[in-house]
Amino acid sequence: MRILIANLIAKIARTASRLTKSGGGTTLPGLLAEKIAPNIITKLAGRLPQGTIIITGTNGKTTTAKMLAAILEASGLKVIYNSSGSNLSRGIASFLSLNSNLLGTKVNADIGIFEVDEATMPEITGKISPRLIIVTNLFRDQLDRYGELNKTAEIIGSAIDKSPQSTVLLNGDDPLVADLKKFSHKIRYFGIDEPLVSKSTGAIDSKICLHCGHELDYEYRYFGHLGRYQCPNCGYKKPDLDYKFTKLDLKVDESTALFKNNSEKEDFTIKTKLPGLYNLYNALAACAIASELGIKTFIIQTALEQVSAAFGRMETIAIGKKRLALLLVKNPTGFTQVIETLTYDKKPKNLFLILNDKFADGTDISWIWDAELEMINRLTKNVTVSGLRAEDMLLRLKYADFDLKQILLEKNIALALAAALEKTNDNEVLYVLPTYTAMLELRKILFNRGLVKGLVE
Amino acid sequence: MKIKLTLAHLYPDNMNLYGDLGNIVTLEKRCSWRQIDLEIIKVNVGDSIDLEKVDLLFLGGGQDQGQKIIATDLLKRKEEIQKEIDRGLVALTICGGFQLFGQYFQTKTEKIPGIGVFDSYTVAGEKRLIGNVVVDISKSSQEWTPGFNHFTPKDKRATLVGFENHSGQTILGSKCKPLGYIKKGFGNRGDGGYEGGVYKNAFGTYLHGSLLPKNPWFADYLISLAYFRRYHDNIDLALLDDQIELEAHRAALTRAETAKTVSI
Ligand SMILES: [Zn+2]
Repeated sequence: MRILIANLIAKIARTASRLTKSGGGTTLPGLLAEKIAPNIITKLAGRLPQGTIIITGTNGKTTTAKMLAAILEASGLKVIYNSSGSNLSRGIASFLSLNSNLLGTKVNADIGIFEVDEATMPEITGKISPRLIIVTNLFRDQLDRYGELNKTAEIIGSAIDKSPQSTVLLNGDDPLVADLKKFSHKIRYFGIDEPLVSKSTGAIDSKICLHCGHELDYEYRYFGHLGRYQCPNCGYKKPDLDYKFTKLDLKVDESTALFKNNSEKEDFTIKTKLPGLYNLYNALAACAIASELGIKTFIIQTALEQVSAAFGRMETIAIGKKRLALLLVKNPTGFTQVIETLTYDKKPKNLFLILNDKFADGTDISWIWDAELEMINRLTKNVTVSGLRAEDMLLRLKYADFDLKQILLEKNIALALAAALEKTNDNEVLYVLPTYTAMLELRKILFNRGLVKGLVE
Repeated sequence: MKIKLTLAHLYPDNMNLYGDLGNIVTLEKRCSWRQIDLEIIKVNVGDSIDLEKVDLLFLGGGQDQGQKIIATDLLKRKEEIQKEIDRGLVALTICGGFQLFGQYFQTKTEKIPGIGVFDSYTVAGEKRLIGNVVVDISKSSQEWTPGFNHFTPKDKRATLVGFENHSGQTILGSKCKPLGYIKKGFGNRGDGGYEGGVYKNAFGTYLHGSLLPKNPWFADYLISLAYFRRYHDNIDLALLDDQIELEAHRAALTRAETAKTVSI
């Protein structure tokens, strides 16, 4: 009965917020539903016949979820996933409630994919026992909210510990993530096996062996602290991988790699239209989960090739003869990765950087000093900076040796967008790199002009 | 003859939280724009270094685990660092680095000894103090190294802006002076009182941001001190076009007024 009322209220709340266009349509229904029926997540998730998959970690959650959904749909399953970037408990409650019948006896799908914030993990695994949990990576992100990286790892560990029946897929290239093995007996590893050398010269987030505190040795690393590592003191090292990519080929607009599943004889070439090494990691994560669920490799292969960018992850929008490419940036590693991807071809780029410092962006903007903007300082033709902390971004560019004559500062995002588009020639791309709330603001502007269909995907 | 200065960056692999790298970049650029050659030496655990040849020492903040590892190594260098600081070596230490340059850090479970450059000690607080900070240095700076350009109250350079994020509370003894006084934010003890610590040419602070890019006068002050340390003479640093730095400083002042601080 409570579920019925909760579902009813949730549906009304959604309709109301859609009618009034007041926003909050993604979390308010869930907030209300959980108030009325605190066990609503447990109840409704339990109705999914093929169970739930939980994706957590710092970077790549949304894209991995989107890729996985495409694969599962191609295999004939009806999938629901919380693609609206609402990865807290109430977002998940909303999305389950809105996808079930009024009585709550049926959820309108075979399988659920939940993207869950690191800090929300213990709460969620306390409510549902997922069939599979994947941890993509752990990077420094919005430290003022979550505290330090080791603590984030502990939080995820405690969440895994609460769900002993879940298969746990860990990124073996990440020494912090791979170490989560101690929390489960059903561990599988994915990773890249190729001596790629990162162009990145910057600081590594975590170079310390979690077992003995000694510094790790790296034979090579891909980006951040991902790579082939070993502790010279206690022997902790990158584990043998169950699912891996080799023979990587990276370009600005597509990438390929060879996928190897240890329990299968044959290897398959995987191709994705999404750029950058970080997106290959997402593709690998999706491949690993799908294989773990028993999906045939040829289905994975074809489905992945069709996937286009997720919300703000190299999503492109046509504006007349010009195109916008949106690339969300939220932490130094992600920022550096996006920048590095833009250097794959040597065409001078139109760049639009938007830095906000609201709660969802992280109120501390120090992290822009860890992003290696120097990589692209000779590959731009004009740069626009905007957002609440536009002055800080401009200052960062000055110290990264950008040509100041190319740069325009306009704090108002709508005006800055107009100026940046003005400077972009026909048939060229304007690369927009906003932080989270700046992305939402930008989307609203595009929506009001009828350039995108919805505020969220 | 080209001026040459040397900066030792202590533990860059372990103490690299919160964009503290921006401080190194700033010192490097502001030297190179003036044709001063700044050599940067990275010093990691176990590396040997001759501090007599160093003019500027930098130590940033780290995660708890990183801090523990380097604490032991840092202790081995205690006498040498103390000796050189007494002989004019310039040091900038941020957050965790500042704490370890004090007498000790009493966490909830253990007492981590510091190297006692600063007459200060740190105790773990109940809350984490997070937010934008504005520090007034017009009064405090009068007591820094005599003979150097001080920052008068009317001076636009009289403030430092940054971002604090710490749970440790640092109490200063009589031999350590504050870096400045809080206009906005929490400060060393979380009470809106004093911020940071100064002993001779060694400076400690909780300000990330990064600190130096948005406070270029403080960066230049450190460079002047480093010059004095090496060449035993004052230097008139060439003026740079700091319009962008000033804009960022001003924007941070405004943001400190409007954005809310949290303690969790
Ligand atoms: Zn070890």
